[in-house]
Amino acid sequence: MNSPSQSHRWIRLIEPACTSCMICARECPSWCISIDSHTEPVGGLPPGARDRTRNVLDRFAIDWSLCMYCGICVEECPYDALEWAGDLTQPRSSSELLVEEMVEHTSDATSR
Amino acid sequence: MTEVSPVDWLTAAEALQADGFDYFDWLGCVDEIGRRDCLRIVLVVRNLGEDAEPRMLICSLPRDDPRIDTVSGVFAGAAWHEREVAELFGVVFVGGERRRLLLSPDFEGTPLRKDEVLGARTGMNWPGAKEPGESEASPGRRRMVPPGVPEPEIWGDRDSSQPPADPAEVAESAIGGRVRRTRR
Repeated sequence: MNSPSQSHRWIRLIEPACTSCMICARECPSWCISIDSHTEPVGGLPPGARDRTRNVLDRFAIDWSLCMYCGICVEECPYDALEWAGDLTQPRSSSELLVEEMVEHTSDATSR
Repeated sequence: MTEVSPVDWLTAAEALQADGFDYFDWLGCVDEIGRRDCLRIVLVVRNLGEDAEPRMLICSLPRDDPRIDTVSGVFAGAAWHEREVAELFGVVFVGGERRRLLLSPDFEGTPLRKDEVLGARTGMNWPGAKEPGESEASPGRRRMVPPGVPEPEIWGDRDSSQPPADPAEVAESAIGGRVRRTRR
């Protein structure tokens, strides 16, 4: 599956590893990565500790009509949250449908 | 590293070849805008017979009319590098190959000059403008800006009563990264 000839077809997001740091979206030369995130307070801190927040990823989308498969995002990600995959980018009937959402929404969107 | 004037460029290259440095390594160009108003041509040659350090020949050309003799008669392999520099930086290699190497014949512009602006992107929203934890880019004093897109006040939406911005000002504004924007 991941032989060199087959591993350069699609970029996969490993969602648990993503910290919404925006580095891939900023490094992308073709501006094809869109990220939305919000912050949530970290629970379970000891009493008296300063409040802390963490970033929660809401949306990670790659526009395959813009992506040129250069792999800079895969190289730049400091948390190895992006990787090459052997699956083919799915053909679509319009360029809008080539915007692929990579985050599955399990929680209710109104709870943000 | 030897700096020569444009008129001595070809002679200096021939002298290096006669001195045993007859293996062409590479030829490149650096846009010195912001430091000096010139383009710097760099030629690197090696002597494969002896265990010698490579020799580097450099030459500064004015940005508004960069002309230099071709060294492709001395080092045939330099022809490709010169064609690349010619189209990406707008340098004229006198006596050299005039055909383009990479860009299409009808392309206008010099993509690797630092004052080259990515015009189509000035009207687009950059996805990297958001900070981590944001869904909408909020205005901040130190925002991230994309490379190649200058501030509208300098290029694009410039006050029409003002003369066009100096190329060095455009290049500095289009550098990208985290910049302090004082104008807004």
